[in-house]
Amino acid sequence: MDLDANRSLIVAALARIPGGDRAALQTVYRLTSGKLFGVALRILGERTEAEDVLQETYVTVWQKASAFDATRASPMSWLIAIARNRAIDRLRAAGRNRHMASIETAADIVDPAPGADSALEESEANAKLHICLDTLAERERTALRATFFDGNTYEELAARACVPLGTMKSTIRRALIKLKACLDQ
Amino acid sequence: MSDIHHDSGPTADELIAAEYALGVLSGAERTTAEQRLAREPAFARLVAAWEARLAPLVAEIDEVSPPPEVWDRIAAALSVRRETRSGLWSSLAFWRGFGLVSALAVGCLALVVYFGAPYRGEPLVAAIDGGGHHHFVAMVDAKRGTIAVAPAAFSADASRVPELWLIPSDGKPRPLGILRADRTVTIAVPDDLAALAVSNTVLAVSLEPPGGSSTGQPTGPVIATGKLTNL
Repeated sequence: MDLDANRSLIVAALARIPGGDRAALQTVYRLTSGKLFGVALRILGERTEAEDVLQETYVTVWQKASAFDATRASPMSWLIAIARNRAIDRLRAAGRNRHMASIETAADIVDPAPGADSALEESEANAKLHICLDTLAERERTALRATFFDGNTYEELAARACVPLGTMKSTIRRALIKLKACLDQ
Repeated sequence: MSDIHHDSGPTADELIAAEYALGVLSGAERTTAEQRLAREPAFARLVAAWEARLAPLVAEIDEVSPPPEVWDRIAAALSVRRETRSGLWSSLAFWRGFGLVSALAVGCLALVVYFGAPYRGEPLVAAIDGGGHHHFVAMVDAKRGTIAVAPAAFSADASRVPELWLIPSDGKPRPLGILRADRTVTIAVPDDLAALAVSNTVLAVSLEPPGGSSTGQPTGPVIATGKLTNL
């Protein structure tokens, strides 16, 4: 589907949810659940838990849709953040240390072909983010990706990379600062 | 961290917002950030900006179709919460979940969902859902008197064809045409029906023999419905 139309449909449906329109939530679910399930599955690594997180995510969308402001945020960014936070909460609550393999494995996802993504409309933003990620030192980029995709804490990242906790904190924070400077240019 | 808290650098809040959005915080730090998010709009804006910066990374994650029962569980959770405007919505969701229903039921429910006033001049769209993965997206072009219907996740059945119906406030389905699973179909809407294609009018898709229903009414199962909405 045309990406602008897709975004418009999601925004229009989100706007109808605060009025109690379930069909609108179902529309949002139909257009976005594949991506959000992929995100939850990547962080949790287990289907049953990812399904629970997906359920929590859309119940949260139902409750919080009035807080979404289309003039300030992209609907996909908003939805992705909810799904990632629910997945991370579950990971933390379980106290599990998933993804504790060597940190290099966090980089094992290859970039998709351009246009391969149908749910995310920000292909331009995506291109810019990747350009900026490429400006980071490799250990910074690897640590950022391990956190984003695997939901690792500072402690887990430090253990995975075999460096002291303080070193890992500096690495991540420096990476975030450089990333913002590059993206805001 | 003295190397990053110099004068021209980001504020401490900016860094905490970035760390929270990235998901690297744990324990008390994460809890504190969540509490601030709820209380401090300025902090919430910093977090939202970081979420937007990082979100494009998910382009690297493949979409995975969740099993259909996840939606059923969400619908059930909403019923428990009783946050719907009308209990009748529940029956519509329930009915949709099964996807098989008589044309008569379509008519009755169409009366239920019709509470919008006619509105012309802006694009009207409808997501035609069937609980599972059968669905289309429709857009009405009032100026040209056409309706374009794109397959979203409809899977074809060799022996039957999807037929589109307009169900206005009287609840009586009017045939619009045969849809395709492999491409968008643009249908010229007859003038008398174009007047009925307004906000909150229901579109339904039924499965019919090749060539479409010969009776002028749906003969096969109604697999999906959706309301026209102004974009």
